[in-house]
Amino acid sequence: MSAVRSAALAESINATLADLLEQDPRLLLLGEDIGRLGGVFRVTRGLRERFGAERVRDSLLAESTIVGQAVGMAMSGLVPVCEIQFDGFTYPAVNQLVTQAARIGDRWNGQVSPSLVVRIPTGGGVRGVEHHSESNEALFARVPGISVACPSTGEDADQILRYAVTLGSPVVMYEPIRLYWRRNTPARDPEPARSPTAARIVRRGTDLTIATFGAVTHEVLEAAYALSPEVDVEVVDLRWVAPLDMNTVLESVARTGRLLVVHEGSKDVGIGAEVAASVAEHAFDALRGPVRRLAPDRRAYPPADFEKDYLIGVREIKDEVLVMTK
Amino acid sequence: MVLQAETEYGTDPDDDTRRSLLRHMLVARGVDEEARQLQKQGALDLWLSCQGQEAAQVGSALAVGPTATVFPSYREHAVALLRGVTPDELVAQWAGRTFCGWDPRRLRFFPYTLVLAAQTLHGVGYAIGQRLQGRDDLVVVYMGDGATSEGDMSEALNLAAVESASVLFICQNNGWAISKPAGEQMRTSVAERARGFGIESVRVPGQDPETVFSACSRAAAHVRAERAPCLVEIPVGRIHGHSTSDAQEVYRDHEDIARARAADPVTAYAARLGGLGLVDTAWLDAVDAEVRELRERLMKEYV
Repeated sequence: MSAVRSAALAESINATLADLLEQDPRLLLLGEDIGRLGGVFRVTRGLRERFGAERVRDSLLAESTIVGQAVGMAMSGLVPVCEIQFDGFTYPAVNQLVTQAARIGDRWNGQVSPSLVVRIPTGGGVRGVEHHSESNEALFARVPGISVACPSTGEDADQILRYAVTLGSPVVMYEPIRLYWRRNTPARDPEPARSPTAARIVRRGTDLTIATFGAVTHEVLEAAYALSPEVDVEVVDLRWVAPLDMNTVLESVARTGRLLVVHEGSKDVGIGAEVAASVAEHAFDALRGPVRRLAPDRRAYPPADFEKDYLIGVREIKDEVLVMTK
Repeated sequence: MVLQAETEYGTDPDDDTRRSLLRHMLVARGVDEEARQLQKQGALDLWLSCQGQEAAQVGSALAVGPTATVFPSYREHAVALLRGVTPDELVAQWAGRTFCGWDPRRLRFFPYTLVLAAQTLHGVGYAIGQRLQGRDDLVVVYMGDGATSEGDMSEALNLAAVESASVLFICQNNGWAISKPAGEQMRTSVAERARGFGIESVRVPGQDPETVFSACSRAAAHVRAERAPCLVEIPVGRIHGHSTSDAQEVYRDHEDIARARAADPVTAYAARLGGLGLVDTAWLDAVDAEVRELRERLMKEYV
């Protein structure tokens, strides 16, 4: 397998945030421990020193306060980029995101277009304690008015963040914790995405399409390289789960005739269900076999000693592809 | 507690202001009554009456002045009308036409927020945002007693305190969270609770618009001078149910409802200004004609 050494995700996001703060005086960062400490993952390290405590704001330890005040700041013309410390602590902010941030534009008849970003570290594989390894992107994907991004590289996170701060409606961006400081990752096709909101074909293949997103994209790529040349897998990194770029998926399925969806969040009523349903509706005739999903069962994320049983690994992905192509 | 007064914000209303208080109260009462009628006729889906709260709303809204930015809850109809929201704009959302019928930016009267206390955090965030951009607005956030049980209310009070945000919280306490009486909702007053967060506060009766006007003038002056938050709690009467779908007779005894009606702030203030000779029959007739005209136009628009 070919691997490349690149800037870690945390470093890329740090550089993007610094550049955005440099360019737009209306933009500010808001989150727990993001200033003095630089964030628990050090994603915002050095930014408070560079841009000041007014623009890199250590928030109170209250998630509803973070998003609720960000909504008010957006009404005043600012562009708040919030950080929730861990995925599992998102829930106290859900009301402000779902009933307020997502609906402010409509409620104001378009007079307010809040560009408001909420960054959330996500996912497992780092031996986190309870509530520190969750994948709750599907929760927001169902909410009209909120866009949900799940980048798997620093380059994608950069493009997504730059787009998100200009969108005029809230964006939740999930950042895989286990990629924050990982430097060696499987090689990807250099082909750029068609637009900031588009999915990206990160490996061209002819036999089967895997649609995936987030950290597990790297396991999918490893599996694809390992299966080659016996099975030639095409890998689509969705990058956004709401709205989904189904055109890229449908075009890929039209070429390969097979679709597997892989994600880390639990399977039931998940992103994979939506992708599979769309393909069944719009590309049924192109399919050479049933669409399948590979994702954890519907259960809470387990204690760290058991997370390997929960997470989708390279071996499960290879096995699934072989079952589908035999 | 001693609130610092500033001469530029007079604390006692002059005679013109007193007539203005009464006029706005009478207009609010008339529009509210027409909206209730329209709901009975099926022209509105729902109406949340503010009857009994006119003195609190008009007194506070006049006191904070036209430049303050108001984050209402959803029953601040008298504040809305005083700020220039027209009656047909006010009822549009209750007829299912829109989520907000007025221009929030121009009127500095932001849209109603139906999820309780959510607007309290928006108000504080807005005040911080304005300050960061060099604009030092006075932000006024309204909420009812029921909403103070929400976590966002406590979070907003704490945030406003630690950020020293220029926010005046105005809590209209009508004694009921739909059917839950105030005595079962809290063990202290809301004003006392605010002090626990480090926020100056005062509790004034909501029957007399002049008392409210004076207290809110002092509170607004305090916020402007100290650039620190303040809270005014105003106990008010509740004449009608929570909404037109509520049946308050089920849980509230008749004497209590009768007491609220007898203590009607609108008729009491009209009688008082009449007795003082500040308004005469001709003045009252003119306001009455104005209200009738507003009601007729509203009815024609919605029936």
